Amino acid sequence: MSLYLVFGLWVPILMEIRIRKLNKDFFSEGKRITALDQVNLNIPANRIFTLLGPSGCGKTTLLRCIVGLETPDKGEILIGDEIVFSQEKNIYLPPEKRRLGMVFQTYAIWPHMNVFDNVAYPLQTRKLPKKEIADKVAETLRFVQLAGFEKRPATKLSGGQQQRVALARALVAEPKVILFDEPLSNLDAKLREETRKELRSFLSRLSITAVYVTHDQIEALSLSDMVAVMRNGRIIEMGTPWDIYFNSDQRFVADFIGRANIIDGKIRSVEKGWAVIESAIGTIVCQSRDEAVPGKSVSVCIRPEFIKLLTEAGGEGRNVFRGKVESLVFVGDIQEGEVRIKETTLSFQVEPTAKIKEGDLINLRFDPTHCSILFN
Amino acid sequence: MRKTNRALTYSLIVIVGFLTICPVMMLFLGSFTEGLGAFGDFTLKKYIKSYSDPALGSIVANTVIFTSGSALLATALAMFLAYLNTRTNIPFKGLFGIVSIVPMMIPHVLFAVSWALLLNPSNGMINLLFKQLLGLTESPLNIYTLQGMILVEALMDFPMAYLIIAPAMSAFDVSLEESSRVCGASNFRTAVRVTFPILRPAILAAITLAVVRSLASFAVPSVIGMPGRNYVLSTHIYRIIATGFAPDYGMAAAVGMSVLATSITLIFLYRYLTSEGEKYVTVSSRGYRPTVIDLKKAKYPLFGIVAFLSFVLIVLPIVVLFYTSLVPYSMVPSTRAFTLMSWKHWIAVMKDPISMLSLKNSLFLGIAGATLGILLSIFVAYVIVKVRTTASGFLESLSFLSFSFPGIVIGIGFMWFFVYTPLYATIWALLIGYIATYLPYGVRPLSSAFIQIHSHLEESSRVCGGGALYTMRRIIIPLLIPGVVSGWIMLTTMFVRELSLSVVLSRPGTEVLAVQILRFAEDGLWGRLSALGIMMIILSTTLVIIASFIGAKLKKVNK
Repeated sequence: MSLYLVFGLWVPILMEIRIRKLNKDFFSEGKRITALDQVNLNIPANRIFTLLGPSGCGKTTLLRCIVGLETPDKGEILIGDEIVFSQEKNIYLPPEKRRLGMVFQTYAIWPHMNVFDNVAYPLQTRKLPKKEIADKVAETLRFVQLAGFEKRPATKLSGGQQQRVALARALVAEPKVILFDEPLSNLDAKLREETRKELRSFLSRLSITAVYVTHDQIEALSLSDMVAVMRNGRIIEMGTPWDIYFNSDQRFVADFIGRANIIDGKIRSVEKGWAVIESAIGTIVCQSRDEAVPGKSVSVCIRPEFIKLLTEAGGEGRNVFRGKVESLVFVGDIQEGEVRIKETTLSFQVEPTAKIKEGDLINLRFDPTHCSILFN
Repeated sequence: MRKTNRALTYSLIVIVGFLTICPVMMLFLGSFTEGLGAFGDFTLKKYIKSYSDPALGSIVANTVIFTSGSALLATALAMFLAYLNTRTNIPFKGLFGIVSIVPMMIPHVLFAVSWALLLNPSNGMINLLFKQLLGLTESPLNIYTLQGMILVEALMDFPMAYLIIAPAMSAFDVSLEESSRVCGASNFRTAVRVTFPILRPAILAAITLAVVRSLASFAVPSVIGMPGRNYVLSTHIYRIIATGFAPDYGMAAAVGMSVLATSITLIFLYRYLTSEGEKYVTVSSRGYRPTVIDLKKAKYPLFGIVAFLSFVLIVLPIVVLFYTSLVPYSMVPSTRAFTLMSWKHWIAVMKDPISMLSLKNSLFLGIAGATLGILLSIFVAYVIVKVRTTASGFLESLSFLSFSFPGIVIGIGFMWFFVYTPLYATIWALLIGYIATYLPYGVRPLSSAFIQIHSHLEESSRVCGGGALYTMRRIIIPLLIPGVVSGWIMLTTMFVRELSLSVVLSRPGTEVLAVQILRFAEDGLWGRLSALGIMMIILSTTLVIIASFIGAKLKKVNK
């Protein structure tokens, strides 16, 4: 934790990042591409904050603007109380003066240096005494579980180890903020999962402000305290992973995160917190939202895991539909299937022991608390 | 940043464009004039004169036989060695690395001379030996023939063919062959239907490049071809400008135009073939090991062939030259020969002002030329790899163009240019010509160095607190140094031994080593030639050692 001496007391300083009206355009082959479009964002201190979005949405550009590798066209960036960029006040602090840590997608391990020199580099640039550098490097390497690797050529390490060297280098100078640019995308699936858990435990022990960029929704959901979803240079949704997954009212977000069935319809009535929607498969009851008014065209999002298979007996009530199993695949822990209700095909999943097969007519119930309304 | 990059790109296009397009344009214009310095009157006279020459038919026939023969022989040798190295259990595989690199270090003119010393019909050492042993009156072997030329040229060009074919063979996924076998094909059918077609682009690329090399070759055609009156196009052009009363540069240019056109066409073919070859590269994610064929009893006899080849390529030329530099005249090694040995030729060379001048000039060209060439290459490679615009793509093609330049032809183009400038007959004319012709050899190692420096490596240093200069000193320069050193070594060795361009551009006062060696060969002064040749090898080896030493030092002090 960063401690600062204030009036004779050591207090933690919370390094919030505030971004105001940030704009950035790129020119490519004579065309103007807007990478960041009026971005306003407060990144809370000492949390793991993730920028999530498809490739080309501007998330990496935003990260590079925070760290100082790109210069925005307009707007303002504050890290803590320091203005690091302001177009109006004509302030631009170069990356080397911002004292941040960053882990690159390629790790950017310098091939001509060993592990020690790679990790010691940020301290060497600050011209610290040799003894202090050696101590801090040893401590950081121990923290990332690479003690004893000092003399190894950095490029001879495995992908996961290189990743930890990159992390150690980003942490060694005890930065106020650490940034990650898709750090797991070069690892294979199994290692990625392991490293993700490791990273989570490293970061939660440090209480540091972490900004994490990824296009992988599982990474975003499992790693972060807070997620911002980006699209076309704008932040379109921000919240806890739980909020993003269950409560988003945007079709793009619901579709991008997790698997979702999206059914178009029109609101018939709203009462006591429930909205009744007419759709192609029939009447669906959903949890209502403030903006839901009768007559409005909306969509309903129902995730496969909230579609319940009913036994023959309990085939009545709200949100019960009858359909024909189009396909069914056993994938181990569950069975994934597609069911056709009238003309609409929906994905669903059942436990592996469920006794159904392709061609069966089945009754399904959508849990109304997990049917969410999307505004298009 | 973007602005400076654009300015850099365009100024490099101007510089490299001047270096590569200018001689070609001058050659083209020159071929339509009366002669050197006679621009203005357009005439087709030179074309008519040179292409109606009755001797041209046999010269072209000789050229076709010489280039295709040596290219095929070189490629066959390269395939044989590449196969042995990558696919069999032949012992001492380290030798293959040496045999494919070291011959490039031995100057071609010396290599050709050493073969002439061994196999010339009047007093070649091997011929003398045969005459003594078998009591023959006639020499049984004669190097001064078209076959002799083909043999020597092929031995010099095969390392380059090897460097193209061996990587293709080792990148070859053996499961392709295995699946053919599983499908029921025999060993032979697999080779014909699978192995050979997959390697075909690499093999054709090697042949094409070998044809380009032998078409541009001047050392073998002059040292081995001319004594037997076997003329090819390069020596034909040389005769037009270097013998007789009036050198006819117009006619030389007219002949040169078709040589250059052929060479450029072949280089485009080569580029196409290498890009085809990349399509065939099958990289499998799992680490596969090619099945190694057990040679069994053939192991040592085959190794014997490789060892003999290495001996012939590396040891023999140097031994023959050194021996010849010590004996008074050509003789078979014997006790008498050893008693007659002296440093006479060495002393004669050291007292010869022209030889010493050529040594000085070559040293200057080797150091200054390579240094300037590498400086230019650094910027060119930077723009090609890091800037990546349409203009930088154009620069890449431009800098690759000189790869196809036959030295003697492009030298004539440069002659036309220099004659209008104060650079004519100065050492700077040679320096500019060298850099223009050999630029691709400097650009290539630096491009790969720049490719290695991913922009993240730089950015990461900035984020870690290193300013622009600090990043330059600790990250960029140390990572560039290996490329700079190997590029510099490449250029300096090529410049010290440069012959084909120098033979046109070198004038009294700007003699260089290879040209002086050629003069000694023409005068039959083999002893002096050998002494100067050994000095040349020592010079370039010393430069290589110093460069590697400085490179290693610079790499250490990057903190």
